[in-house]
Amino acid sequence: MKMDVVITGVGGQGNIFASLVISQYAMNKKLNVLGAETIGAAQRGGSVVSHIRISDGTIFSPLISRGQADLLLGMEYVEMLRHMRLLNPEGTYLLNAMRIPTVLNNMGLDEYPTTEEILQAAKKYCPNGHVIEASALARKLGNIQMTNVVMLGALVKIMPFFDYDEVKWLVQANSPTRFQEANVKGYEEGYELIRNN
Amino acid sequence: MKEKRYVMGDAAIARGALEAGVRVVAGYPGTPATEIVDECLGVPGVHVEWANNEKVAFELCTGASLCHVRAMPVMKHNGTNFVTDFLMHVNFTGIRGGLVLISADDPGGLSSQNEEDTRILVHQYAHLPVFDPCSPQEAKAMVKEAFDLSEKTELVFCLRPVTRVCHARGIIEFEDLPKDLPAAHYEPDRERFIMSAVEMPKFGGVKRPQIRHRWLNEKQALLQEIMEESLYNWIEEGKGKIGLVGCGMGYTLIKEAEQYLGQKLPLLKLGTLPLPRKKMKEFVQGLEKVVIFEETEPFVEGLFKRIFHEEKVEVEVLGRSGFVPSDGELNVQMILETIAKAAPGVKVTQPAVPALDVHIPIRTRTQCVGCNYRGILNALKQTVRKYKGIVAGDIGCHDAGSFRPMELQSTIYCMGSSVPMGSGMVLAGVNRPVFAFIGDSTLYHNGILGLMNAANNKINVNVILGENTVTAMTGFQPHPGTGVTLAGEKTTPVNVPKLAESMGISYRVVNPYDIKQCREALEAAIKEEGPSLIVSSMPCYLLSTRQGKKVFEPREVRLDPERCNGCMICINDFGCPAISINKQQKKIGIDPMICVGCALCVDVCKRGAIS
Repeated sequence: MKMDVVITGVGGQGNIFASLVISQYAMNKKLNVLGAETIGAAQRGGSVVSHIRISDGTIFSPLISRGQADLLLGMEYVEMLRHMRLLNPEGTYLLNAMRIPTVLNNMGLDEYPTTEEILQAAKKYCPNGHVIEASALARKLGNIQMTNVVMLGALVKIMPFFDYDEVKWLVQANSPTRFQEANVKGYEEGYELIRNN
Repeated sequence: MKEKRYVMGDAAIARGALEAGVRVVAGYPGTPATEIVDECLGVPGVHVEWANNEKVAFELCTGASLCHVRAMPVMKHNGTNFVTDFLMHVNFTGIRGGLVLISADDPGGLSSQNEEDTRILVHQYAHLPVFDPCSPQEAKAMVKEAFDLSEKTELVFCLRPVTRVCHARGIIEFEDLPKDLPAAHYEPDRERFIMSAVEMPKFGGVKRPQIRHRWLNEKQALLQEIMEESLYNWIEEGKGKIGLVGCGMGYTLIKEAEQYLGQKLPLLKLGTLPLPRKKMKEFVQGLEKVVIFEETEPFVEGLFKRIFHEEKVEVEVLGRSGFVPSDGELNVQMILETIAKAAPGVKVTQPAVPALDVHIPIRTRTQCVGCNYRGILNALKQTVRKYKGIVAGDIGCHDAGSFRPMELQSTIYCMGSSVPMGSGMVLAGVNRPVFAFIGDSTLYHNGILGLMNAANNKINVNVILGENTVTAMTGFQPHPGTGVTLAGEKTTPVNVPKLAESMGISYRVVNPYDIKQCREALEAAIKEEGPSLIVSSMPCYLLSTRQGKKVFEPREVRLDPERCNGCMICINDFGCPAISINKQQKKIGIDPMICVGCALCVDVCKRGAIS
């Protein structure tokens, strides 16, 4: 078995937390895990992508090559599109309905595609996708930083590979004490979000 | 006790060093190597520190090594450039306690001002051995072995991990740390450790530099012998007359690409310099050509050509001198395309993926929302426009002021070059006000030398110090102006005004959240003859927020759409990610979800539309 996961977003959206939870889950299942992260300069509002490779066999590259990802997690519209071609068109994507314009968009010098254009392009590339209001829910729960745990909850719902209780425990264990309760709540509501879709 | 953990390559390297009994670790922050130093922290008896710069770190580690203690200087490629002078001496003297230099390269310049291959500097120029790891696991093993071999050969060993090794995460086996570390002791050996042009009676009066050079040359045979036996080089059998060679990460990517190849090609995995000559000769027996995949320069390729010429082996050698792209990071696509070109008979089947039918805007990095640099940069932008000024820039978070929309700094090279370059512009006689913008970590790295030079030579350059009291860009490492060490111990932060006073430079301390005050100080500096210093002093917003401290009183910022005429000043001269233009309405909008209430934009707007 293998499960290649790509997580995309903008610096500060909590990619790394989500990637750690997924990796630890696989490790607890005694599977091989290899990952890669773009960090450093990307922290400052830049484009951020994490690759997580899970397999019961040998894994070589920490980077997923074109068309190989089984799951693509998009924390932001265009950041998902930027890495969409890593996804196997027969795989699954989970997209947060969130637009963060670029500096050039703000200046009016570059166009940010419309939501319709984005959703159409994504659907045309890969029919199996879910678009959820994760950031809106996180905001409603009190902190937009919880987008990542909401996304994890939704992810567990759509991917049978993940076990609800085990991931929940990892979300809690990886959260700083003062955020534990809120993060678990975000995770639980994220899971429900898919049923309501 | 062995334990498996899922950690970053940098943590694997740190663990390898700790298991090898390293006693002193010093470095200067730089992506992708930064976390190596951080991860060494917390083991009793091991000193870990951030030095002002890489040269200080390397020299400090060498001092420890001469006392028979294991030491590890850590840096990215730019740092290795910076220590070249010292490297070209320590290679001649050799060392005592194991000394392993970590020189991390960043192919593709993912988080760097340039891309380069420090294997050339360390191996070709300094004639020192280099390990080039293909994974975090191998990097850990290599570091441990490098400490042993360093002592055995009395030479500095170098580990050259690339970004994809440093920032990969993998399952790493953690072993016990050594319980007892050998005690430090020092015996003088002036024939080795005094590098000076002195005649050596033992060698008929030949001068010491030449004799030490001879010593280093004689070590090469021993290194050759070690690398012939090294477990980091191996041959994998395959079919056909075309062989592949993978160095470090190049090997890993070839293995990844193999799943798409119709047949297994002969493969030589390399991880050491010097190269294993015998293994190379054995590998190419019966082959017509070999294609070498390495990060980043065609360095091993050049060595192959030389060695095969010397050994009279006839085989075509292809690689990054043009057959494989000569710039950027290797990837699986590049390898497959190259193989298709080199071996047209081999079937390459990679699943095709459809194109994506949508425009994807490029996202460039900028300062954080709420960052104090945006205030001083805006004041500088206004001043530069009014007085036709030029700004020489430097490394750090403020460098984003040189991108669109601000486009303020006109030059950015390497650590500390802003002040000397600005000085040169003044001396050239441009007859325009010249500014140099530098951060505090960069000032202490070596920028202070340019400042002292400007003072000493009375150069009319206006230096702006963005003093945010931390090395922010790489993740908040402390520096001499922070007042705390890496281990959390309090120290005395450098007092910049006193420093300026002692150099005889006039200085003005400003609050970057007060644009008017900044502008007045900048104008006053221009009108003054000789060098002047503006100290724009305020702790980093992001770090302060994380620490629960306030650097400004946040308030709700409102836009009056009646007053906004879409002049774009708040976008073009300020560039806060919370502000955007609505082209149809010709008015700006402030996104309350992004805005943190620093209210700097209130001062930026000339029409009073923001309050």
